[in-house]
Amino acid sequence: MIRDHFAELVTGLEARLADAGPGEPVARKTFALEAAQLGLRLFSGEAPVAWCGVLAPFDLLHAVGFEPCFVEFVGATLAGNGAAPPLLQLAEAEGADPTSCSFHRTALGAVASGLIPTPEVVIATSAPCTGGLAVVEELARRLRRPLFVLNVPHSRHQAAVEYLAEQLHDLVGFLAEVTGRSLHPGRLREVVELTNRARHAMVEIDRLTRHVPSPARPRDLVNFALVVSLLLGREAGVRVTGAYRDELERRARDRSPGLQGERLRVLWLQNRIQFRSPVEPLLEELGVAVAVDELNPVTWPPIDPEDPFPGFARRMLSTPLVGGLAHRLDHVVRLARGYRVDGAVNPCHWGCRQGSGARGLVDRALREAGFPVLNLEVDCVDQRTFAEGQVRTRIEAFVEMLAERRPARELEA
Amino acid sequence: MTGPLFLGLDVGSLSCDAVLVDRNGRSVAWTVLPTGARVLDTVDRTRREVLELAGVGPAAVAATVATGYGRERVEGRIAAVTEITCHARGITALLPGTDVLVDIGGQDSKAVRLDHSGRVVDFAMNDKCAAGTGRFLEAMARALEVDVPDLGDLDAEARTGLTLSSMCTVFAESEVVSLVASGADVAEIVAGLHRAIAARTQGLVRRVAPQFDGLEVAMSGGVARNRGVVRALAAALGRPVTVPDEPDTVGALGAALIARDRALAADPAP
Repeated sequence: MIRDHFAELVTGLEARLADAGPGEPVARKTFALEAAQLGLRLFSGEAPVAWCGVLAPFDLLHAVGFEPCFVEFVGATLAGNGAAPPLLQLAEAEGADPTSCSFHRTALGAVASGLIPTPEVVIATSAPCTGGLAVVEELARRLRRPLFVLNVPHSRHQAAVEYLAEQLHDLVGFLAEVTGRSLHPGRLREVVELTNRARHAMVEIDRLTRHVPSPARPRDLVNFALVVSLLLGREAGVRVTGAYRDELERRARDRSPGLQGERLRVLWLQNRIQFRSPVEPLLEELGVAVAVDELNPVTWPPIDPEDPFPGFARRMLSTPLVGGLAHRLDHVVRLARGYRVDGAVNPCHWGCRQGSGARGLVDRALREAGFPVLNLEVDCVDQRTFAEGQVRTRIEAFVEMLAERRPARELEA
Repeated sequence: MTGPLFLGLDVGSLSCDAVLVDRNGRSVAWTVLPTGARVLDTVDRTRREVLELAGVGPAAVAATVATGYGRERVEGRIAAVTEITCHARGITALLPGTDVLVDIGGQDSKAVRLDHSGRVVDFAMNDKCAAGTGRFLEAMARALEVDVPDLGDLDAEARTGLTLSSMCTVFAESEVVSLVASGADVAEIVAGLHRAIAARTQGLVRRVAPQFDGLEVAMSGGVARNRGVVRALAAALGRPVTVPDEPDTVGALGAALIARDRALAADPAP
């Protein structure tokens, strides 16, 4: 089922890209095509698959010859094509806690249904969430595959970098031992250079999307950095990020706004809603641009191709959802200021212990910095619980409130 | 009646409310009808009734603004504005200086934080569940076999009030039935219900105003007619809770005032 979905996507997107006229936006289609091809490769059985936690170093795994993917990608994909509810029901019937994260529950349902290709190895990460760690461990148990757990420290000090870098060396040793696949230094250097090229384009994307009005179209950068992390270390990553950079540069130069009539800008916290919902069309209709997603901007320095392991470790530790909350609070406030937003939207994804725990403090930090926050209380994957009327009223009321504030803020400026 | 009038229609889940104001923002007529299943018919009836009460025809209405969950379905409106903004506008006209407005309607409860000029600066709403709203009270009144308007004073004789173990409408209803069957005093049950609603509402208020000291708190929506809930909320907040004369028409009044503001801004002499 999932393989057919990806195959259809690839065919459709290839045709649309072939038909695209000069000047027509193609970055999002290029991104979607590469993501669909990644999905197809996972399900084709051609390359050895590694199911991973979301923070795994995917470029390092590419260098070893794996087709790696994080399990949340499955939940998001199935939610996107409306297939998540029966899998959620199945996972719950098999004992998954209905109050747990639905990205993970959907993945468990997919495992129970035999929809997930059997991996050669499973690589868990202890961050950003212990729920994800538990699900990846469960996946290894059910599929009877070797498991490696990366223990991601909660500190960003040099000692933490060294500790994590050492584990990454151990991971390479583990992969060689259990799969016979080894890492060639030349291949690793090539991969890191591709990662750095993609990173460079991503930094440019960050710079370009700071323009007011934003040159990015409303759905352009949905799920961007999370999925691009799966393409790092490959030409595909360079292609996708380069396509975005070029397109945004052109639009910024031509003063062509991504959203005609942008009147308000918001920061989107954590994840987007993955199923088709009226939220994004409504924001568009109300003239609200999502100027930046919390997880999109680059937070890590370039990686040294001659000694990449500390760089991989720094990248993992720099993720806003890793470590003490102070880092995340600084990050979101900096984004709100840098992207000149009017407020922030927190979907408050149901079942995300980390998001729920942080919610009040994120709320307070942004409010104290002068940015109102809308808490939507939705499940980003489970469409069964979506209450359209309530969500619509909250968004409209929030936009009315921001619009009332806008003249005062402009006067202050 | 001379001069243009401005109509606010609040299409809620339990009631459909209409208020007509004149160009000075004075209320000319108002009405409240049960929404029922045929929302559009009710909107038409409410509109006709308020015009009849004002003694004018449809042509006298220069602009209409709709609010409430059915706001998008009202024809002939110049805008659909959310209940949050409309209730804030209405309460500021009736009780200037309000810092926090609690609005409990048929299936929504909201706490709205206002600044000194009556602008909304924050709001919080109940999540998915209608516990503690008008529908909840309807179900409890049914279980107690009393009329909803009578609930408000039934707790006057209560000494301590019972504690309900669940605020889920379904479970609370069956718990109330069990309590009645076991001979519990109705006054104590009602006091427990009011206190439970107040505790839940206090949580909403805290989300928009962490400190209650010195706050001017007002309440709107149909549940504000229940004196027991208002008393319990005031006790929970440690602040007086002021209720305007017609609390269920505050949203419609706000909508009418917004219609007036927008129409006069577009054409000062309509």
